[in-house]
Amino acid sequence: MKIFSFKGYRQSVFCSFFCITAINLLSSVAWGQQAITVQGKIYDNLSSLPGVNVTVKGTTVQTISNYDGSYTIKTSTKDTLVFSMMGYAKREIAIQGRNTINVSMSEEATSLQEVKINAGYYSVKEKERTGSIARMTSKDIEKQPVTNVLATMQGQMAGVSVTQSTGVSGGGFDIQIRGQNSLRANGNAPLYVIDGVPYSSEAIGGGITATVMPALTSPLNNLNPGDIESLEVLKDADATAIYGSRGANGVVLITTKKGKKGKTTFSTSINSGLGKVTRFMDMMKTPQYLQMRAEAYVNDGITSYPPDAYDINGTWDQNRYTDWQKTLLGGTNEITNIQAALSGGNAQTQFLVSGNFGKETTVFPGEFGYKKGNLHTNLNHESDNKKFRINFTAGYTIQDNNQPSTDLTPEAWSIAPNAPALYDENGNLNWENGTFNNPLRNLEGKSLANTKDLVANMLISYKLLQNLELKSSFGYTDLHHTESSTFPSTIYNPAYGLGSEYSVLFANNTSRNSWIIEPQLHWNKEFGKARVEALVGSTFQQQNNVQLVQQASGFMSNSLIYNLAAASNISVFTDEATIYKYQAFFGRVNLNWDKRYIVNITGRRDGSSRFGPGKQFANFGAIGAAWIFSNEAFISENLSFLSFGKLRASYGTTGNDQIGNYQFLNTYSTSGNNYQGTIGLHPTRLYNPDFGWEMNKKFEAALETGFFNDCITLTSAWYNNRSSNQLVGIPLPGTTGFPSMQANLDAAVQNRGWEFTLRTVNFQKENFRWTTSLNFTTTKNKLLSFPSLETSTYANQLVIGQPLNIKKVYHFTGIDPQTGIYQFEDVNNDGIITATEDKKTVKDLNPEFYGGLQNQLKYKQWQLDFLFQFVKQENYNTAATLALPGTMSNQSTIVGNHWQSPGDSAPYQQYSSGANGAAVDAFYKYISSDAVITDASFIRLKNIALSYEVPKKWMKNVQCKVSLQGQNVLTFTSYKGADPEFTALGFLPPLRIITSGIQLSF
Amino acid sequence: MNHHNISCNKTSFRYNLIKQGKHLVSITLLGLLVACDNFVEVELPTSQLTSPTVFENYTTATAAMVDIYAQIRNNGVLAGTVTGVSNQMGNYTDELTFYGSSFMGTINFYNNTLIPSNTDIATLWNNSYSQIYATNAVIEGATNSTGLSVAEKNQLLGEAYFTRALVHFYLLNLFGDIPYITTTDYRVNSIVSRMSSTQVYANIKTDLLLSSSMLSDDYITPERVRPNKATVKALLARVYLYTGDWNAAVNEASDIISNTGLYVWDTNLDNIFLKESTTTIWQLMPQSAGRNTEEGSTFIFNQGPPPVVALNDNLIAAFEVGDERKNHWTKAVTDGVNTWYHAYKYKQFTNTGTSQEYSIIFRLAEQYLIRAEALAQLGDLLGAKTDLNKIRNTAGLPDTAALTQQDIITAIIQERRVEFFTELGHRFFDLKRTNNLDAALSGVKTGWNTTDRLLPLPESELLMNPNLNPQNPGY
Repeated sequence: MKIFSFKGYRQSVFCSFFCITAINLLSSVAWGQQAITVQGKIYDNLSSLPGVNVTVKGTTVQTISNYDGSYTIKTSTKDTLVFSMMGYAKREIAIQGRNTINVSMSEEATSLQEVKINAGYYSVKEKERTGSIARMTSKDIEKQPVTNVLATMQGQMAGVSVTQSTGVSGGGFDIQIRGQNSLRANGNAPLYVIDGVPYSSEAIGGGITATVMPALTSPLNNLNPGDIESLEVLKDADATAIYGSRGANGVVLITTKKGKKGKTTFSTSINSGLGKVTRFMDMMKTPQYLQMRAEAYVNDGITSYPPDAYDINGTWDQNRYTDWQKTLLGGTNEITNIQAALSGGNAQTQFLVSGNFGKETTVFPGEFGYKKGNLHTNLNHESDNKKFRINFTAGYTIQDNNQPSTDLTPEAWSIAPNAPALYDENGNLNWENGTFNNPLRNLEGKSLANTKDLVANMLISYKLLQNLELKSSFGYTDLHHTESSTFPSTIYNPAYGLGSEYSVLFANNTSRNSWIIEPQLHWNKEFGKARVEALVGSTFQQQNNVQLVQQASGFMSNSLIYNLAAASNISVFTDEATIYKYQAFFGRVNLNWDKRYIVNITGRRDGSSRFGPGKQFANFGAIGAAWIFSNEAFISENLSFLSFGKLRASYGTTGNDQIGNYQFLNTYSTSGNNYQGTIGLHPTRLYNPDFGWEMNKKFEAALETGFFNDCITLTSAWYNNRSSNQLVGIPLPGTTGFPSMQANLDAAVQNRGWEFTLRTVNFQKENFRWTTSLNFTTTKNKLLSFPSLETSTYANQLVIGQPLNIKKVYHFTGIDPQTGIYQFEDVNNDGIITATEDKKTVKDLNPEFYGGLQNQLKYKQWQLDFLFQFVKQENYNTAATLALPGTMSNQSTIVGNHWQSPGDSAPYQQYSSGANGAAVDAFYKYISSDAVITDASFIRLKNIALSYEVPKKWMKNVQCKVSLQGQNVLTFTSYKGADPEFTALGFLPPLRIITSGIQLSF
Repeated sequence: MNHHNISCNKTSFRYNLIKQGKHLVSITLLGLLVACDNFVEVELPTSQLTSPTVFENYTTATAAMVDIYAQIRNNGVLAGTVTGVSNQMGNYTDELTFYGSSFMGTINFYNNTLIPSNTDIATLWNNSYSQIYATNAVIEGATNSTGLSVAEKNQLLGEAYFTRALVHFYLLNLFGDIPYITTTDYRVNSIVSRMSSTQVYANIKTDLLLSSSMLSDDYITPERVRPNKATVKALLARVYLYTGDWNAAVNEASDIISNTGLYVWDTNLDNIFLKESTTTIWQLMPQSAGRNTEEGSTFIFNQGPPPVVALNDNLIAAFEVGDERKNHWTKAVTDGVNTWYHAYKYKQFTNTGTSQEYSIIFRLAEQYLIRAEALAQLGDLLGAKTDLNKIRNTAGLPDTAALTQQDIITAIIQERRVEFFTELGHRFFDLKRTNNLDAALSGVKTGWNTTDRLLPLPESELLMNPNLNPQNPGY
């Protein structure tokens, strides 16, 4: 993880500017001097440096260096010029009558601690923060050729685990910050805040319309990584309690790019590249496959092959071979991304306008693809007297996704290798006289998604007094999403004789808008060695969601499949308008004594419409403290190698209201079922009005140290979070009529772990700089208590003392050498293997540890970055994906090592065509046993980026950088299967992407 | 809590405020506090009605009741889809041969290799209990309603009691001892135990008798798509037959057969499965105008090999020579080499201008065969043969040659086989109640075991409610 950005962090520039101005005002002395104009160029190690503040010491006269590092300032002969910029050591140079002063500035290692970190409602200096906040900046993001913000976070931050769920463009990612807090699988999403506006990550699509994806469509795809200036992840109570009820799972703060003062600059970048599936499974080829099939029938005592065993009974060519993974998933995803931005402004007003267009094709056969366009604008203004400020940002994104309605991956794994050709001699889909369920039929159906998303916000602030500022943010989001899946009659085998009257369209329209107003008062004052900051504020938010899900069938023609008017049957599954209202009061007090002792207290009172009367409000709060011991005289005098040292700790409470709306009501809803022309009403849920907030108590202690002028910095943190009063849809047996019911469960979940972030400057010379950063997280999730778990409906999902994400499975004990059938441990020794009694082995699917190792090497104009992501975990292996070996379904080659005759010892049982009941039964037990949950650890060269900055002298006035970037380039794993990174089996693995790009700015 | 914070801060910098902008700050602070708790109260969503409201109005209460029929039509045991019993138990016995994908749960029905984690088993179970929950919600809602008239309440309650009994009846015959659910209270329903079959049958009879006393003789709407008193009696007759209460079975069946004002025997086999058929006692209306039955879509195919199922050779061989049902209710499809047959009772595979066929749940022929069998058991062999011959003659067959009581009963079971094939699992239930499953199936179904007489309870169900243990034998 890279915690700091070096320059251009606008707020910080403002801040230092104000400080300098204030000091100058105090010490201003007038001299009788001669007026001159000084000019010059400012450089860092490698190139010219734009945006440097140049001030005449003791005055308010100032300027900013241009894009090429040049500056001009009117001053007098005996003055001193002060050159300052975030991330660089400040320099003061006396003019001594010179007209030209060229300045070389160097990056200041210790200044990393001066960076202002966005903590949401306030910002805090990196070194003075009391909370746990991880940070990435645009520099980390722009190296990665990906289109999803969550993808950019993989392997970058301690405590943040991100898993890609499908390689299909526009697909989603799973994120967990410090483990799973809630028993509810969908109650673990962090809160996303974009420029101060909460952005709902709740799914916007429907299960029946996003058929190609493993999960519902996430609105997070709308965010354009290229627009992000910085991304902060708030983890502990100190940082998250001010977000109260929505902070339990962490907070992701996204700050978009802002206009910068200076000459109007146009910059553009073009990237294009190729993506391929990272890993395929090692599947059987025809001879081995047919041998397996033949052996299966022999084993089952079947001498004449059944009429539907087309692969082996002579119907299909037995010498044919197709590598179905290569044929169906082996295509190339062509990627193009173009970005352009115009920015500039003076000291009062700055602007930024940027646009982005991206396009991806698909690895599937056929014409599919994903397009994303985006417009981002920002406008800042500050009044002359610096009392009034306004900051307006708006982003608009359009996404257009066109994918097949079904992911071809499962069929690429299962189709017999000697299955017939995909097309007949006329170029039509080959159904081989109805014997071949052609996989390309899936391409006849489409899964389309179109999203338009606006996120706008305005922050207005007015300084009432020197140290009292009134602020209010106003945010608005507006999202429209249409999604459809089609299943035209042509996806069916013509043997069914289905015409367009059997074509089906599923259509989903979602609109979501929200507004938020957050008035706040900020106050700060210094009393001698003490500095006090305080803020109070309140939040009013409303989110409106409208969703319409329809099924249409019976089309007069397949060409009219998107025309609902051409359908003879239309069913409305969902037509729902929901409102979510939210209100809060919050406050913060921060005391800083002599830059050594810091206490930070935050609190929030939250109300949410998601709870029933009397349960709507709850209070949350936290206290954090830090001791910067390196500022103690006895340390700084005796331990000179220790450049920075801080101990910090925090404790507090947060909550979780991710339970959906209206769950407390006892209602009937329309079912969409028509009977006698009446639309049916069905009971919506099992009724429970009494559920309340889930509480999450977080504790963290951390030690932050810097050695040798911060050439080595190390942060070690230990956290212990506990969630209680778990609000869950308690799974219920079918006899209750519902799969689950919403209720607070008196159970507690603990997440405890260590996080380490190490950053070293390995080498630093004039032309060469090498830095390394490592983040490492080890985490343990544990169910602490669960009253009467044994008699509850969770009895077979959870075990006290074990993580939540476990599987209770049979214990596989090997193969009976006589029968060649899988055997399992009979835990209760009753002679039969039953799920309730014998699924007692616990397998933990949580990662044991994970992290990333990033290296950056800079040599003159060259820069090389590479990131290795590593995860130690167990997960389902290939055997869990595939059918019974011996049936008409291809297999991984590892199954070849199987039992053949009595006395054999082999890892896999005898083949069976499905007629051997004992083998079938043992197989199903096998795939619910510990044998299929094995090591799925991996080390991945997640990202590699090489760039070369063309020297200025070659291209006058133009900054030019060329780059080569790769994502998921290499994967080292012993995993038996496709790719070890997945959330559910049977979906397209992630892609390996290589792109090249050029970036110009002038 | 924060109200206090704000006033504290206010005091601490009051000194400065006096000088400048005092009013501005005050306005802001007022703005911060003006919010009151009712900001977070929301109206009902547009798509929902509170449960009591539903039962204050006969139209919405009826919508709650008919939704259950739509659920029964679309999902669960009685659905004509591949996951309903018509297909699954047809495959399970000797009625159907499976040609579909090995990914379909039906293959395990066909091979008699069901295991408790089979998802189709869970589908049958969960959808049924979801339908039962809805009937209990109607019973509780209608009982507590103050807005419905007595007649309206009786209509809804009568239908709900009947439906509750109907779904339990099928669950009982598939799974054996099952819980009989009579409340919406999840605290009770989540820890229920299995109930003996005798007790379940007692509950079914109680519900049916209650229902029978509430429903009218006439259908309350056109098209026989809402149950009437005869529908309840049809199920009662079947229940009495299954439980060996022969006299009661004869009485109930006779009540229906003698109601010739409503139920008119039809000798044209092509009329029996039309929606206007006068032999239909209760049928389920399709989702929309122009749609026909799910059964038609499931069983009919136009070219071979069959995409999902075809009629089993054993069934085809079971038709006597000259049986017109083979000509009218099955259809051959050939690819020039092989010939397959599909069920052709419902003849509409797809939509038609107006719907022509509805899914029939009870029809008159069953009442004749119920009465025939019950009379045979009671020793009235002549009466039994008369009813049996009514069916045979309609199918173009001569009078039965059976003479002894046992032969007549065997002939009736054989007649049921060719009369009710692919209809709602009749074949399986007949073999089971006459203890002929092993004799009939072990020779023709290689995977057949004696313990296959019961389906397994869903694995998930036993895991979540251990009170349902033990699992059925053999699983």
